[in-house]
Amino acid sequence: MSDAAATTGPSATAGAGAASDILLSVEGIHSYYGAIHALKGVTLEVRQGEIVTLIGANGAGKSSTLRSINGLPSPKVRDGRIVFDGQEITHRPGHEIVKLGIAQSPEGRRLFPRMTVVENLEMGAFQRSDKSGLKEDLERVFSLFPRLAERKTQKAGTMSGGEQQMCAIGRALMARPKLVLLDEPSMGLAPIFVERIFETIVEINRQGTAVLLVEQNALMALDVASRGYVLEIGQVVLSGPAQDLRKDEKVRKAYLGE
Amino acid sequence: MTSDARTERLPRLLPRRLPSFTGFFGNLLVLVVVAWLLTNLAKTPGDFFQILLFGLSLGAIYALVALGYTLVYGILELINFAHGDVFMFGGTISAVFILEVFSLGSHEHWYVLWPVVAGCVVISMLICGILNVLIEMVAYRPLRNAPRLAPLITAVGMSFILQDVVLGWRGPNYITVPTTLPRSNIFAVGGVTYRWDELIVLLVTVPLLLGLVYLVQKTKQGKAMRATAQDREAAAMMGINVNRTISFTFLVAGALAGAGGLIYVLWQTQVRFDSGFRLGLISFTAAVLGGIGNLPGAVLGAVLIGLIQAFNEGLSWSAPGSDWTQSIVFSILILILVFRPEGLLGEKTPEGQ
Ligand SMILES: Nc1ncnc2c1ncn2[C@@H]1O[C@H](COP(=O)(O)OP(=O)(O)O)[C@@H](O)[C@H]1O
Ligand SMILES: [Mg+2]
Repeated sequence: MSDAAATTGPSATAGAGAASDILLSVEGIHSYYGAIHALKGVTLEVRQGEIVTLIGANGAGKSSTLRSINGLPSPKVRDGRIVFDGQEITHRPGHEIVKLGIAQSPEGRRLFPRMTVVENLEMGAFQRSDKSGLKEDLERVFSLFPRLAERKTQKAGTMSGGEQQMCAIGRALMARPKLVLLDEPSMGLAPIFVERIFETIVEINRQGTAVLLVEQNALMALDVASRGYVLEIGQVVLSGPAQDLRKDEKVRKAYLGE
Repeated sequence: MTSDARTERLPRLLPRRLPSFTGFFGNLLVLVVVAWLLTNLAKTPGDFFQILLFGLSLGAIYALVALGYTLVYGILELINFAHGDVFMFGGTISAVFILEVFSLGSHEHWYVLWPVVAGCVVISMLICGILNVLIEMVAYRPLRNAPRLAPLITAVGMSFILQDVVLGWRGPNYITVPTTLPRSNIFAVGGVTYRWDELIVLLVTVPLLLGLVYLVQKTKQGKAMRATAQDREAAAMMGINVNRTISFTFLVAGALAGAGGLIYVLWQTQVRFDSGFRLGLISFTAAVLGGIGNLPGAVLGAVLIGLIQAFNEGLSWSAPGSDWTQSIVFSILILILVFRPEGLLGEKTPEGQ
């Protein structure tokens, strides 16, 4: 806690132009599930207003990276640090991190199955104290996903996978985050839903929210992202502008199936 | 971890054919009970309705305790075996306050009785609520990620500790308080008499139950409780302070048990270190009958169990009598666990408690 002020103070102001538009910076984190060493020094950055994608095979550590950023109890970050919006958040409890402006739509959607769509969306705004913006934000989510507007009072657990995914993304947006973490939003969805989800991600970003997108569908992810990171067994093995990654021989072989 | 994984972890073990088979015997059992009740109704209608009213009050007290089991199970999937003893502790505290702090005599004037009752409700709810929060912190929280059996064992341990504390403090005999609640009749029509003390039990209990519904459905803390119960990790991602929410749930459960303890002592006029054991198991059965984790289910189950006990102990024609109450209640528990583990109101999905 005390070293947060010391480390962010001088470096953030000294870097001026380049550093000040960095929203999230993950600096060499090592994360563990008990004795399992899941992240072995992951470093990445998200700048203001960017879409950044994190790609990699199953088990590479993509979800673990998002969970570490989000301050969930597992995996535990034992080394390295995470700085968000000028503050160190490495060991902050999850509920404080949400308040600072990071929201997540987790892998597998994880809606509250016995709550209605509207109740789920309202839970997304749990940490916000302004009641006034709530209605406005609900409208925003419904305009992004008109399908949800038709299902306001339906129990989330009874909806189709695509609808649940929309609700999960909408729920994350209800926090009015500066950065939204999306973990495999296209997983298990019909192609038509996948298109729709990716269009919406671009729209959300256009409206001013930075996005860190984890995807197995590397092709589409690199299409919408400005930069990307490739993760292998808990380490970043490649990073750069999305177009460059698309042209990269190794990426094409391993992740684009070409 | 994910809800899909959970579904896989709890496959439906019963073959498809079984429900119709059990359905037949279940229906037969219900039919026999209904026939028995109707016969009693025809023979002694006055007794029947009087016992029904008594059973409602009994069920209301069970409901206060059953809700604690169900709240805690809903959020931690833990059967808090110490919960009946928290109820007993509330009863003991109330008895001590009634006897030694307020020195209440029998049949006090209402302007003496009611402030004391109100004071005791607050004191007992507060002490039991805090006690329950401490129990969770000491005995369950350190074992949050341990195998499920571990907190179950510490729960049993906690139950013994509470009993021993009260045993050491007040000894093995019943602590008896004066008859404070008025026992005069509100009405006596056609052989049905309804007494004030029975009504007062309901008058204290029902507002608490309604208050709980409001708390869980409408308040921010209540929504945090529901979210945490449905998916703890997702709740954390929403910015809900999960530990605080769990503590709050134990606070509410303990407070309800505390209120139940007070009402029980006022009504039954005695309490002892082991009073929580039997009543706790009966209330737990009520929670399972209604569908553990389901709040309206706990109330429904408690009222049904209260009525079953009252009819069994009160009706004159072919009733097994009070010696059999525990056997009957636990037979119900076994039948429910075997044939309908989701209870009367529980959903069939594993996460649909
Ligand atoms: N709850 C867990 N307990 C233990 N190990 C885990 C857990 N979750 C993930 N892991 C391990 O951490 C590594 C990274 O997993 P994860 O971050 O889920 O990968 P990805 O999201 O890229 O598929 C894998 O080796 C996985 O087995
Ligand atoms: Mg993953």
